[in-house]
Amino acid sequence: MADTLIDVKDLRIHFFTDEGVVRAVGGVDLAITRGKTLALVGESGCGKSVACRALLNIVHRPGKIVSGEIIFHRMFHQSSGSGSDASVDIAELNPKGREIRDIRGKEIAMIFQEPMTSFSSMYTIGNQIMENILLHTNLSKQEARILTIELLDKVGIPKPSRLIDEYPFRLSGGMRQRAMIAMALSCSPTLLIADEPTTALDVTTQANILDLMQNLQKQYEMTLLFITHDLGVVAEIADEVAVMYLGKIIEKSDVFTLFNSPAHPYTQALLKSVPKIAMTREALDPIKGMVPNPYSRPSGCPFHPRCPKAFAACKTIVPKTTSLGLHHTVQCLLYEDVTERQATEALS
Amino acid sequence: MLTYILRRLLYMIPVMFIISILVFLTIQLPPGDPITKMIENQRLQQGRVFSEKDIEMMQARFGYGDPLPVQYTKWIGNIVLRGDFGYSFYKREEAGKVIADLMPLTIAISLGSFIFTWIVALPIGVLSAVRQYSIADYVFTFIGFIGLAIPNFLLALILLVLGLTTFHTSFTGLFSSAEIQQAPWSLAKVWDLLKHAWVPMVVIGTGGTAGLIRIMRANLLDELHKPYVETARAKGLSEMRLLVKYPLRHAMNPFVSGFAYLLPYLVAGEAIVAIVMNLPTEGPTLLNSLLNLDVYLGGGILLLISFMTLISTLLSDILLAWLDPRIRYGN
Repeated sequence: MADTLIDVKDLRIHFFTDEGVVRAVGGVDLAITRGKTLALVGESGCGKSVACRALLNIVHRPGKIVSGEIIFHRMFHQSSGSGSDASVDIAELNPKGREIRDIRGKEIAMIFQEPMTSFSSMYTIGNQIMENILLHTNLSKQEARILTIELLDKVGIPKPSRLIDEYPFRLSGGMRQRAMIAMALSCSPTLLIADEPTTALDVTTQANILDLMQNLQKQYEMTLLFITHDLGVVAEIADEVAVMYLGKIIEKSDVFTLFNSPAHPYTQALLKSVPKIAMTREALDPIKGMVPNPYSRPSGCPFHPRCPKAFAACKTIVPKTTSLGLHHTVQCLLYEDVTERQATEALS
Repeated sequence: MLTYILRRLLYMIPVMFIISILVFLTIQLPPGDPITKMIENQRLQQGRVFSEKDIEMMQARFGYGDPLPVQYTKWIGNIVLRGDFGYSFYKREEAGKVIADLMPLTIAISLGSFIFTWIVALPIGVLSAVRQYSIADYVFTFIGFIGLAIPNFLLALILLVLGLTTFHTSFTGLFSSAEIQQAPWSLAKVWDLLKHAWVPMVVIGTGGTAGLIRIMRANLLDELHKPYVETARAKGLSEMRLLVKYPLRHAMNPFVSGFAYLLPYLVAGEAIVAIVMNLPTEGPTLLNSLLNLDVYLGGGILLLISFMTLISTLLSDILLAWLDPRIRYGN
């Protein structure tokens, strides 16, 4: 596919703890389309944050990418000649090496969840934004400062030429998240990863930040990977949605299909558990049970202990990715020919 | 920042006043009075007998017989107005001169041990944190705990014995001979001092080093997984630059505040080492003066050390404020 920016194939990330191995990401296939917004949705602890950190190869110990590929199709659209063969496997790069460090902050930038603690309180926000510019460009300190002020202005920080010299703890959460966005944009990245950027903010600020991100995405022609557990946010900004459960992408489709005809029982349950204004008297319909203990994952389909539609085969057979239409895939035995699977597995 | 420093300097005045009262009361505590004791000593040792008139004169000079507040006023007034710390009956010198002779060496030794502590503890602490649970971490942790567990005076004794039996030099004192110690300062004297001073610096620094390694390690471990470190890593900073600029800077505070306890730690805690190693510092002198009812010398040393502790606390606070903007802005 020519318009794929990042192609994740069978990515597995394990955490080697004293209590045992946690398979945080257990074989994820995911293609991110260039210029689109992909929302990665899931409950806390489903592995979505770890998976997106793998795109920058910053999974920290005791976590480790054990297998899989993350093919990053870079595009050099200038005179640099053959731009066709510029893809690189991020999972293979040395996490401390030069190559991946040149990608971080420059081609793939990231916005984090906690605007309170994601900036260091020891340095001004200007210092920390300029650091990114000076690291990846040949601009002088003066030029970097001017660019930083422009960026701060662009993300809607008032009096940017004064606030550039302000320490993070003197700014509000919303302002800090804006500064964080300015920092991420400073080298015009092709992919912006946002790990729950609005979760720690109040609702009004949330809406402002979402608007800002959508505008900037158009301006910079960026691809956006948006990690969230908030389906309202998904509906607002996503083009495509991938639903993650226990380290697997169990359903992926465009945003309309997902909200109109969700295929996986988990997605259906997730949508049902969202409160709607129209539904005044009915009680909410939460998903029953809890996310299983990470040290003892269920056999077969990971969702079967909580699934209302589970049947006998779900306990033993791990569902494969089934295509339900153009751009709509699901991992669920309801959509597979189970008898055929059982037959082939019995043979092997 | 300037107002902060000025305010702190102003605060020091009442604190110093209270300290001076405490010191005065402390030197008044032992039974007997120093003049009687001196007269007795002189009579026993040299057979010298003071006349009634002489005794009265001495008592008048130091205000004995006056009520305590009057004595205190005389004492502190002489110190503040004339720099007169009184007379050392034991050393038979002006107390001020005795203190002034010892103070530079005391400060030099404290600073030296402090710098030794920093130079050793900082890199080892960082290494133990960054390579947590590695062999190096375990080795340094082991050595660190041994250093922490061995009393300094014992280490001093071991070094003295080693020096005499293996290296055939004496590690005692700060100078090769008494002549050099008395001589005026010259390059040769400084060189001689440096040749001798490293031993007490290492001995005194060892206990502190072990403690500081543990503090550095624990602090840095706390900082290494903070979100701002991840942000910096996501920018593409190299691990080394990242470590120095972010988590290390955040973990430095306890190091800097340790600066304030430098002098009292040395004088009070390490007096035993100084006695074992025969160091011409304030610690042993203070002990002797207290044992011999040499009240003016003892009081003077206590007062000066308190004063310098206040100064170094101020210095470390200024350093902290300069280092950490959160303190500067009062958050």
